[in-house]
Amino acid sequence: MTTGYHPLVKRLLDGELSLAELPPELQGEGEEALRLVGAADRAPVALSPALEERVMAVVRRHAASSGNRAWRWLNTPRDIELRLRVRPWTVWAGALAAAAALALLLGRPAPAPEPGPGAQARSGARDSVFVRFVLYAPGARRVAVAGTFNQWDRSAAPLLPAGTSGVWTTTLALPVGQHQYAFVLDGARWVVDPAAPAVDDGFGRRNSVVAVTTRGGQL
Amino acid sequence: MRIIGLALPLVLGTTLSAGLGAQDVGARLDRRVSPEVQRAVRGIAADAAARGLPVDPLVQKAIEGAAKGVPGDRVIAAVRALAGRLAEAMEAVRAGGLAAPSGAVVEGGADALNAGISGPQVSDLVRVSQPPYDPALTLRVAATLAALGVPAKQAQQLVETMITAGRSPTDLLGLPGEVQAGVARGATPTQAAAGLARAAGGPPPGRAPDWVPPGQRKPRNPHKP
Repeated sequence: MTTGYHPLVKRLLDGELSLAELPPELQGEGEEALRLVGAADRAPVALSPALEERVMAVVRRHAASSGNRAWRWLNTPRDIELRLRVRPWTVWAGALAAAAALALLLGRPAPAPEPGPGAQARSGARDSVFVRFVLYAPGARRVAVAGTFNQWDRSAAPLLPAGTSGVWTTTLALPVGQHQYAFVLDGARWVVDPAAPAVDDGFGRRNSVVAVTTRGGQL
Repeated sequence: MRIIGLALPLVLGTTLSAGLGAQDVGARLDRRVSPEVQRAVRGIAADAAARGLPVDPLVQKAIEGAAKGVPGDRVIAAVRALAGRLAEAMEAVRAGGLAAPSGAVVEGGADALNAGISGPQVSDLVRVSQPPYDPALTLRVAATLAALGVPAKQAQQLVETMITAGRSPTDLLGLPGEVQAGVARGATPTQAAAGLARAAGGPPPGRAPDWVPPGQRKPRNPHKP
């Protein structure tokens, strides 16, 4: 290890300086470093020809296997020349058919939104963004999120436990805009999201705030 | 909380503030709040609608109070307080130069007031929100910054700096997230916002260092005759 050596001693070890060029106070350290490096075995390593032959025999055997040959055949790039003789009207007919199929696919009406709580997010799906809510509530038996996006319904958006870690999550499609919300633990206890800004709710408690933007920003 | 973003048109805050007639209020509140609260909120909403204020936030507040099990008299008081805040926001927005603001702008103003931003600051934010900046967006961004702990004056100045520097509305929307990221890295909300204001002083990404925002006088080109 040379990490503890003075930079000048490191240059000595790199052969950039001689011992005599070191300042007197570093010469002791330099000598010690040279002694340690000199003690290392620097004899060149020579591999026997038999070892090389053994390694190459294994490589040749592997290359000659049928599976390998098949893979190489499949994987080797080749030039393929394809000639088509078509009449112009068939090209136009094909293009029109493709366009019609695409229009049919994209123009298919969306299923009607279900009535009741949460419909606002679904009906506004075009301007909605998926928002993931996460709460660490190890002691809870039920967790839900209620807010302006679901008419503060305590049962409309339950969170699911992620294993037994105490983490509860759900992902909702929320309309773009600013929403206030809170988590409901066991159907009765309202708690704010510790990971979000909060404002006064007018009842002496706090509501968490999420501003849903099309950029996917995090608030 | 993490948001998985989708590429969608840039709109903010219009969905929830869609107009709601006073006659719909009863239907919205039916079976959600007590008859006493419903009666009172209908009266408050009718009065608000007559003054051109959005009614939907009032209905939402009543429903929220009932869902949280808040006693009826406190729900009514909170709805009344919100109506007062909406009226104050309307006044501040009009003072900012918008004679007939949309419900979304008024609601954004009320959110800003609730977050600690003053009436004159709301007016200033509306005044600087010339197209392409939506005043509702500007107010909500400032409100969210304030809710994150950025002092109201600094939140207002940061938003105004971004607009003056010609940053896009999308950049504006990203401010609260940037502040939160800064806080996650150990900065205070004030420090994070100050860093963003310094960064906003420079040209936007991809622009030359001498870039001048649209609408501002460009320096004379010495190569032009």
